[in-house]
Amino acid sequence: MSGSGFDATIGALNTSMNLRLMNQNVISSNIANADTPGFKAQKMEFEGALRQALAIDGNLQMETDHPEQMALSPTDPVQPAIFDDPNGIASLDGNTVNRGEEMARMVENQQLYEASAEMLKKKLGMLKYTITEGGGNR
Amino acid sequence: MDFFSSMRVSASGLEAQTKRMNTISSNIANAETTETDEGGPYKRKDPIFTAVTDKETFGEILQNQMDEKIQGVLVEDVHVDERPPRMVYNPSHPSANEEGYVAMPNVNTVEEMANMISAQRSYEANVTALNAAKAMAQKALEIGR
Repeated sequence: MSGSGFDATIGALNTSMNLRLMNQNVISSNIANADTPGFKAQKMEFEGALRQALAIDGNLQMETDHPEQMALSPTDPVQPAIFDDPNGIASLDGNTVNRGEEMARMVENQQLYEASAEMLKKKLGMLKYTITEGGGNR
Repeated sequence: MDFFSSMRVSASGLEAQTKRMNTISSNIANAETTETDEGGPYKRKDPIFTAVTDKETFGEILQNQMDEKIQGVLVEDVHVDERPPRMVYNPSHPSANEEGYVAMPNVNTVEEMANMISAQRSYEANVTALNAAKAMAQKALEIGR
C-alpha cells in the first residue's frame, strides 16, 4: 500500500470520504426521484468498496516489480457497485424509494463523512505540529 | 462526481416539485371553471416525472458509466386527466345544457390537497438533501484550516 505519502490512515480517510460523497449522490438521486413512476431505488455498497480499496478484503493487491508501474493505492478513485435496492418494495406506480429510509441513511452518511473530515483535520494538524516542531498553533 | 452533482440532482427535485405544486394550484384555482379555451369545463392536470441522468458537460458524459446511476428528475409532460366531468343540476347557470346540467371540472379538492401535502413533503426532503450536501462540502473545506 503506497498510500498518500503521509500515512495509511490519511489515505483511508480520503477513500472513505470519496465513497461517502458518492453515497450522498446516490441518496439525493433517490430522494429527488421519490415521486417518479417506475424509478428503482439505488444503493451503493459502501463497506465492500472501502475494504477493496484498502486491500483488507483478503484479496491480494496487484504486485509491481517496477517503480514506474502503478499499483492500486488507497487514494485511487474506487468504483463501488451501485445497484437496484433488492429490498425495495414497489408502490402502485412501481417506485421502490422509501423516503424515511433514505433520509435516515443520508443523515448517517453525512455524520460519518463529517467524522472522517474531522479525523483528517486532526491528523493533518498533528503533522503540522510536528513540522513546526511543536511551535505552530494547531 | 462531486458535491455539485448531488446539489444539481436535489435542485432538479426542487424544480420538479415546484412545477407539481403549480399544477396543483392551477387545479384548485380552476375547481369551478366551466368554460375554457378548448371548450367544456377545466380538466385537471398531472405532471409526469421522469428520471434523467445528471450530465452537465461533455467531460462528465465521458467520465464513467457509474454516473448514469445518479439521476435527477424532470417534468417530462403534463398529463390531462380525461375522467368525465362532474354533472351538477343548475338550470340557471349560463353553461347549463338542455337538461339543466352543468359540466363541472373533474377536480377533486380533497385529492388535490393530499397531493399538495405530498409535494410539500417531497420538496422539504430535497431541501434537506441539499443542505446535507452543503454541510458536507463545508466540512471538507475545513480540512487543513
